[in-house]
Amino acid sequence: MAETYPINIWINEERFNSLQNAGLGKLLKEELAGMKVLIVPCTAEQRDKVLQLFPMAKYDAATTKSIELLPKKVKDQIYDMVVKKKSLDVMDDFIKLVEKG
Amino acid sequence: MQYTGHGGKPLVERVITDKAEAKKKIAGLKTMPASRQMATEAIGIAYGFFSPIEGFMKKADVETTCKKMELTDGTIWSIPIVYDISDAEIAQYGLKVGDSVLLTYDGNPLAIFDIEEIYTYDKESMAQDVYGTKEEKHPGVKRTYNYKDKFLGGKITLVNEPKVREPFTPYFLTPRQHRQKFAEKNWIKIVAHQTRNVPHSGHEWLMKHAYIAAHGDSPVEQMETMGKAISGILVNCIVGEKRVGDYIDEAIVLTQDELRKSGYFRADIHMVTMTFWDMRYAGPREAVHHSIIRTNLGLTHHMFGRDHAGVGTYYHSYQAHHLLMSIPKEKLNITPIYVLEWAYCPHCGEVTCIGLCGHWKELQKFSGTKIRSIIMDEVKPTRLIFRPEVFDVVMEASKKYGFGSPFVTQEYLQKAKPAFSIEPL
Ligand SMILES: [Zn+2]
Repeated sequence: MAETYPINIWINEERFNSLQNAGLGKLLKEELAGMKVLIVPCTAEQRDKVLQLFPMAKYDAATTKSIELLPKKVKDQIYDMVVKKKSLDVMDDFIKLVEKG
Repeated sequence: MQYTGHGGKPLVERVITDKAEAKKKIAGLKTMPASRQMATEAIGIAYGFFSPIEGFMKKADVETTCKKMELTDGTIWSIPIVYDISDAEIAQYGLKVGDSVLLTYDGNPLAIFDIEEIYTYDKESMAQDVYGTKEEKHPGVKRTYNYKDKFLGGKITLVNEPKVREPFTPYFLTPRQHRQKFAEKNWIKIVAHQTRNVPHSGHEWLMKHAYIAAHGDSPVEQMETMGKAISGILVNCIVGEKRVGDYIDEAIVLTQDELRKSGYFRADIHMVTMTFWDMRYAGPREAVHHSIIRTNLGLTHHMFGRDHAGVGTYYHSYQAHHLLMSIPKEKLNITPIYVLEWAYCPHCGEVTCIGLCGHWKELQKFSGTKIRSIIMDEVKPTRLIFRPEVFDVVMEASKKYGFGSPFVTQEYLQKAKPAFSIEPL
């Protein structure tokens, strides 16, 4: 993937421990004095689809270059899929799931 | 005591506090309801937040404000304070020059408006002069275009003081009350921190930076003893019109105050108040306006950081600094303190000014969006970045006042009670 338009999922201690235990710690990046973030990549098509499915979300082109303002419960669903699949490549599955309703 | 306000002129106070006298003064006047925007500004005028302005501006003052950034008497002024009205309303209320009308709000008496002039003004040219753009997507330009086609100019006298609701009640002080508080505290140097944010530690350091700079040439002994400080930080929160995605005002005021309550600032050097003002996002010109308001509150210094009162990409990061620097000292009686951004440096292991630390490639900047994203995910940030007590207050405010969100939502816009109301006289 050349350019991605990621979704940042911030990780609390409890989730950090369970990701470590599942051997998924390497998926995390550190930011802002040691905070952990799971950066789920999206293609341009996936980004547009996410913005269409969740109109409250915005793509922040100016500062973070990521999809922001997704509600917590939406991000929770994406997080669960990452853990289940043990991979960050979940956005197609996630979009399909939402479209099925 | 008579205080001096902006431009070296007496602080304006046009408030009738005696109810019997107020009732007598308004007897028989035509009445006209004021919008929330106009009521907010009438209150600001009457208490002297906008000294030396005594009323809504007349055309000549609007013109010099737009074209020369000053009033007709030469006092620096950057944003027109105007009362807009339609021809239909002028006919409906039978308004003419020379009338005194009673403005009402919430159906109750608010202020006497002496109509000295009825005029038109080219809104596009006003927008271009004040905001540097005619684009309607600029929120200040949009507000300008939404003005009705005529304007009323003339003096305002408040006859009924606003009732400020909880949790804002203790934070609303008039300019006179601000000055009385400063006298009680023996503060000689007071630095303003303008905010419409919940503070992360980057903001906290902007305040500390400005405090240290303002206090720099004063004796330090007073600071050693709690209760003896002669310099203070006034966090003056702007409370007014909101946009979806802004922090709710309740969260802003309460978290700023929490920084002192939790000891990040000593009790005798820090204070939080609020000013009713609808942000215009006029960037540099708004920075000048904020300086004027804070001069009227009695402050001696004003912190200006990056992108002060800006929006989108209309202004350069430090354009406000440059405009302020171009104003002769004797015309603006408050000393600006220009502050660079603070960021977290993993190499230094601390929050540091980006102009001091040489590890540029490693710096982790505080992005407002990132912090919002962390808060929305309900993850407690590291204490170096965001104080845990502040985080707890954000979460509480979200439940108590924000309908489950610390950010303004459509629901908040529809259901949240206005910060002030006008009760029967
Ligand atoms: Zn460093």
